[in-house]
Amino acid sequence: MVLSQKLHEAFKGTVERITSPRTVSAFKEKGVLSISEFIIAGDNLVSKCPTWSWESGEPNKRKSYLPTEKQFLITRNVPCLRRAASVEEEYEAAGGEVLLDNEDNDGWLATHGKPKESKGDEEENLPSMETLEINKSNTIQSISSYFGGEEEEDIPDMAEYEEPDNLIETDPATLQSTYLVAHEPDDDNILRTRTYDVSITYDKYYQTPRVWLTGYDESRMLLQPELVLEDVSQDHARKTVTIEDHPHLPGKHASVHPCRHGAVMKKIIDVLMSRGVEPEVDKYLFLFLKFVASVIPTIEYDYTMDFDLGSSST
Amino acid sequence: MAEHENGSVLQFAQFQSAVDEGFWHRLSSLKLNKLGIDESPISIIGFYAPCANSQVSNYLTLLAESLPAEPSEQSSVPSASHGNRNRCFVPGILYNTNTLESFHTLDKQKLLKAEAKKIWEDIHSGKAEEDSSVLSRFLLISFADLKKWVFHYWFAFPALMLDPPATLIDLRPASQWLSLEEAESLSVACNEWRNSHSTSDVPFFLVDIASNSHATIRHLKEWEACQRNGHKFLFGFYDPCHLPNNPGWPLRNFLAFICSRWDFEKVRFLCYRENRGFADLGLSLVGEALISVPQGWKDHQHMPNAVGWELNRGKKISRRISLAKSMDPARLAITAA
Repeated sequence: MVLSQKLHEAFKGTVERITSPRTVSAFKEKGVLSISEFIIAGDNLVSKCPTWSWESGEPNKRKSYLPTEKQFLITRNVPCLRRAASVEEEYEAAGGEVLLDNEDNDGWLATHGKPKESKGDEEENLPSMETLEINKSNTIQSISSYFGGEEEEDIPDMAEYEEPDNLIETDPATLQSTYLVAHEPDDDNILRTRTYDVSITYDKYYQTPRVWLTGYDESRMLLQPELVLEDVSQDHARKTVTIEDHPHLPGKHASVHPCRHGAVMKKIIDVLMSRGVEPEVDKYLFLFLKFVASVIPTIEYDYTMDFDLGSSST
Repeated sequence: MAEHENGSVLQFAQFQSAVDEGFWHRLSSLKLNKLGIDESPISIIGFYAPCANSQVSNYLTLLAESLPAEPSEQSSVPSASHGNRNRCFVPGILYNTNTLESFHTLDKQKLLKAEAKKIWEDIHSGKAEEDSSVLSRFLLISFADLKKWVFHYWFAFPALMLDPPATLIDLRPASQWLSLEEAESLSVACNEWRNSHSTSDVPFFLVDIASNSHATIRHLKEWEACQRNGHKFLFGFYDPCHLPNNPGWPLRNFLAFICSRWDFEKVRFLCYRENRGFADLGLSLVGEALISVPQGWKDHQHMPNAVGWELNRGKKISRRISLAKSMDPARLAITAA
């Protein structure tokens, strides 16, 4: 970690310890959430999108200002079929950017390849062309994952330990094609894809939610956080997305830095209000996850609900 | 799905494992602070949920909470509480060895057989009817190299083998097998089952569809209530697999249970799957399988063979993960400097 980052973390930690938690709502004025509003919004997310759940995380990392069983939100095993970088190349080739919010170059609202809609059209109809292509490149990348990837001194020769055939008996009822690296037949529907655990924590300093990403390669081995950056919009990789200690889980994880979250959420809320939509605090995380999708456009986590950002009819 | 007029061997997609980093962290500290060189097996818990997406299967996941809590952190909250719909319990056992050599020389067949025997006995004692989660079990062998922060491990998901294997005569999306009204009623019933705190993590169940299209889901032990003629009747289970042409692994022991417990030659099953957390009957499958109950199957002394060691990229080798970057104090000190 760079020194400035460390200093900032230390500063932030001190401020978090000495400031009392926000109790008055500043949701509409500043785009931030109080702790109780975070719980309300989280409860609503869990009930509308049941792939999300509350968890309590590491006992020694629990925050006293949050309920023990509601320390953070997580959705596991979220598919990520393509690398964000490759989507952006295609997107630019197809004709460039659509920024909803062009004035100040934030790019936060840029909806590069909306994950949900694009999935249906492209992935399902053209499996043999595109996905196979991706599979190949994925397999290459996955070599540098944790699986024997590091500059370990003495990687034992795995073949040496390969079991004789009699260990896994020839069993006609086991589906055999569960892992074929190179020559997958076109009609094999087994897609090799990265998956993510996406978690949302409450950042007391910025008073906003914060998103964390834990990646797994095609055989569910942990991805090094650096490789996670391939699934982050290239505008944000290494700038707004950094690799830090997770506040509730062990290890380093990629995270969308929350320093601009309040301002962006304020802007979204203003747009809604100008259209006559009264934003409700329990919907905060849906709006928030929708904007986070512009940072991680190919990670297909769930944030759908029945409301339309552009409508004033509610 | 294509017709299966001639009948083909029913093939199951294997359960796959995923281990959260937190599991290895807690295992390391247990090893250092409590277990020492004790190699006794430890009971652990794995978690799974029905497939939630048409593109990826769900996994058997191990988290920090899969291991017993450390004495220092006897928290007020039970570390693994029931009722989380995304965490159905799977009982497991961990053999953590002290050396890489003993890891490689463990008698894998014997260990697998021992776990399969537990499943077999729970089927015959009736325990599986009371608590269906014991129909899926897993076994993990590991060696934690705490000098290099490298973990060697291998999972097995023991499955009792039917001999001869079951024959598949029909398999198609549930939405095609059911009428529109039945599908709607079944979706409602499944969502209620999944949302109720007391049933959300009960992975095996019975589905009863009345002649008026009304679907009811019941516990296995409520079997008696289901035997009325003229009903559509299915054996349902949470299917972690997403493939359109194969059911997932938990069905194997369920079939063994069904044909040991009740005399069925033709079994209709429901592979229950979800999309975005709700019942998806387009993704869920209904299948029909023929089972010829093997000789001696009723005799509980006569345990069938078992299979289930997980392959690593198609090979019969263990897995290995290095967490030196996040665990090695020396490296952490360097990056923190």
